[in-house]
Amino acid sequence: MIKSELVKRSPLRILEKSIHGELGAGNIGVIASRKGVGKTACLVHIATDKLFQGKHVIHVSFAGRTDHIIGWYEDIFREISNRRNLDDAMDVHDELIKNRVVMNFSQEGIDADQLLKSIRAMIVDGQFAADLIIVDGYDFEKGQPESLKKIRVFAEDLGISVWFSASTHRDDPETNEDGVPLMLVPFIESIDVLISLTPTDHHIRLNLIKDHELYTKEDLHLTLDSKTLLIVEE
Amino acid sequence: MNERIGKMRNIGISAHIDSGKTTLTERILFYCEKIHAIHEVRGKDGVGATMDSMELERERGITIASAATNVTWKDHMINIIDTPGHVDFTIEVERALRVLDGAILVLDSVGGVQSQTLTVDRQLNRYNVPFIAFVNKCDRTGANPLRVKEQLIEKLNHNAVMMQLPIGLEDRFEGVVDLVSMKAIYFDGMAGETLRYEEIPAEMVDEAKKHHELLIDAASMFSDELAEAFLEGEVSEDLLNQAIREGTLQRQLLPVFIGSAYKNRGVQPLLDGVTRFLPDPSQLQYTALDLDNNEAPVPLKADPEAPAVALAFKLEEGVYGQLTYMRIYQGSLKKGLEIYNTRSKKRVKIGRLIRMHASTMSDINEAGAGDIVAIFGIDCASGDTFVGSGLNYSMTSMYVPNPVITLAIKPKDKSSEGNLSKALNRFTKEDPTFRSFVDPESNETIIQGMGELHLDVYIERMRREYKADVETGMPQVAFREAISARADFDYTHKKQTGGSGQFGRVAGYIEPLEDPEKNYEFVDAIKGGVIPNEYISSCDKGFRAGLEKGALIGFPVIGVRAVINDGSTHPVDSSDMAFQQAALGAFRSAYQKAKPEILEPIMKVTVEGPTEYQGSMFGSLNQRRGVILASSEDGAFSIVEAEVPLSEMFGYSTVLRSLTQGKAEFTMEFLKYGRVPQSVAEELKKKYQEERAKEAAK
Repeated sequence: MIKSELVKRSPLRILEKSIHGELGAGNIGVIASRKGVGKTACLVHIATDKLFQGKHVIHVSFAGRTDHIIGWYEDIFREISNRRNLDDAMDVHDELIKNRVVMNFSQEGIDADQLLKSIRAMIVDGQFAADLIIVDGYDFEKGQPESLKKIRVFAEDLGISVWFSASTHRDDPETNEDGVPLMLVPFIESIDVLISLTPTDHHIRLNLIKDHELYTKEDLHLTLDSKTLLIVEE
Repeated sequence: MNERIGKMRNIGISAHIDSGKTTLTERILFYCEKIHAIHEVRGKDGVGATMDSMELERERGITIASAATNVTWKDHMINIIDTPGHVDFTIEVERALRVLDGAILVLDSVGGVQSQTLTVDRQLNRYNVPFIAFVNKCDRTGANPLRVKEQLIEKLNHNAVMMQLPIGLEDRFEGVVDLVSMKAIYFDGMAGETLRYEEIPAEMVDEAKKHHELLIDAASMFSDELAEAFLEGEVSEDLLNQAIREGTLQRQLLPVFIGSAYKNRGVQPLLDGVTRFLPDPSQLQYTALDLDNNEAPVPLKADPEAPAVALAFKLEEGVYGQLTYMRIYQGSLKKGLEIYNTRSKKRVKIGRLIRMHASTMSDINEAGAGDIVAIFGIDCASGDTFVGSGLNYSMTSMYVPNPVITLAIKPKDKSSEGNLSKALNRFTKEDPTFRSFVDPESNETIIQGMGELHLDVYIERMRREYKADVETGMPQVAFREAISARADFDYTHKKQTGGSGQFGRVAGYIEPLEDPEKNYEFVDAIKGGVIPNEYISSCDKGFRAGLEKGALIGFPVIGVRAVINDGSTHPVDSSDMAFQQAALGAFRSAYQKAKPEILEPIMKVTVEGPTEYQGSMFGSLNQRRGVILASSEDGAFSIVEAEVPLSEMFGYSTVLRSLTQGKAEFTMEFLKYGRVPQSVAEELKKKYQEERAKEAAK
């Protein structure tokens, strides 16, 4: 299969249909679940899909070592290219790598200003024209709604879309009446798309909670493959 | 013997430049020699040795001049291995680090964790070397060993704990409080050689107690027994030391010692730390590669009775010829024993077995696993593995990376000329990544290596050690050519016009190798003897000749598999020469069809510096066709990793220095060969064509 075909057939197109197009420049999306369900894999899949489209991605992480994150990308790429029998996989791989950069921040409680300053340095000084920023492991519990607003303004300024992951409490799965995890309620104004990962008996299902202005509890009919953690059609 | 190995230590002393590594090493040698001497003398006539200050000065003058110096501290035998700290990522550093079992990381009490400390720390981590820290120069203005400990935690992520507290600092630095024994130690005598133990000064008791508890707290993670004893309020020194040792061996705990080598304070407790907390050779698992089994790793036993396995890690030119330093990993080396060099496949007999001390050397008859010795009179290269009967192991992979940079050199005068050839002969033996040859076209001496710095070090050594002054040309990147598609050939070499004729026909294909780092593979798929066996190797030779110079820019071709599956011969006119020519012709005809490309060395570059200069760091890499892979930010400090073509990296150190006021630095190592962009490829091809045209015109 050639690259463009692979992009066309990606299950992420189903997600896009549900949210009426892509996440969109200047918008913020969040994938929420409790720990260890597969948020990182989801984000890396979304990022890899963008990379397949020739777009540039910055992956921001807080805890992991950069080689671990690069390992995630390698695994997801391998799974996708094997599954779809991608032509010239190695060449495609080498091209993708050039458009991806991992930024790891190991300081505790870094503020949004410092984070954005570093990302701006990468985009402006490093001339890395990012289309998408993945922020994995941001601590919404400690973070301020103000910080997310700043990130949103930054994304709007530079025309970038941003996907976050949010870890909810294992023992506190409570949501408000719209289905928004309580922890994210103070931030919801700045969040355009909210998806939750819900483990059921056999699968991990993706549910759409917020789609821009609308609150829905729509089942996306997408699940995470239990072996590869790729997003697949039900 | 096992008891002996338990009292053996092989250590390195690593530091940022100017942290006082040399002074500390000198003091260690001095105290060890002296203590040893005192023992010796007392043993003989019961009179303690006294020294006048002249002798003292002379003794102090001893510097570590050999690759491994053997000293005795109390009843332990310590080999101090010289670690070249300045050159990163070269085989020399790698070898020195491989033969260490433990290390002392020396830090400046004022400067703390400095840029090179990071490099050294990374090396120690890469080779999993357990180490202890020594905060030196506590007599300096602004000394703050506790802050240095904090930096070890924050910047290097080590679980650092104070083993001692300073009694006074700067010019009032008098001694240390030992947090294990809870005693104050003062260093008396002309050279601080007499230790005086006192009660902890009253004003320090509270602080000492606090740090004592912190130490126990950290150490009890590694000993349940200690944790229990602590609860019961009965912590013995032995128990505490054992737990600290356990944590250090696991590299989960970093004991921090303090002192001032220059002022003779704190060195002896540090030596006790080496014997107490760093591992003996039997506590580490070393592996060799089995050459008979596709380089599969095999664990070695630190057992003196097993067949010998030893690594030659350093060569020195001595008065009596080549002195080869060896680390014995398994078995024993004995005078007169025959050992086998698995690289050169030669047997050699051990003539003289030597142990190097600070100022003398002694002949020994035997040395066992874990030990480091020197051998006179055997001819070998650095990195060679020697084994006893029945084994075919190698301590290092036989794989040697291709050099990435080329430099033409010319001796400045007549005397340099002779010395230069001596130097080159020696260096190429020492370091397989360093190569030299005379270019038949330009008649210039060419040296090749793994980077600008790598060659710089050798140029400097030519001047310093061999008095060979050379002029250097511009460094050139070692480009390569490679094919990117399969191409068939069916080529006949025929010259049958009078005289003895030549005839050979070869058919088959060339294709890219899956592993591009492999240079070449030849596959004989001839069936039914259409090319007789005697000419198969001629075909191989012909292809090899073709690979020497690619048609695009005249650089060697790598990553080619040549397969022959058909051909024909002539009963009279076929010959070795004819088939070599046929294969060469076949290669050249297929090469253009196989979509050849130009490759360039891509380096893995790591830039480290303050976060405030992150923009400059990103920008400078981007301007050099670099692909930034990752950046890690840890508060005020950032590390950026990128892949950058070597050709863009010339002069980068100067640029980086000026962009960041000298606060950022970088390291690089060869990563892979990568395709050059089309525009660059066109330029290179054009240049090559012009040169060829010029030569043709001549």
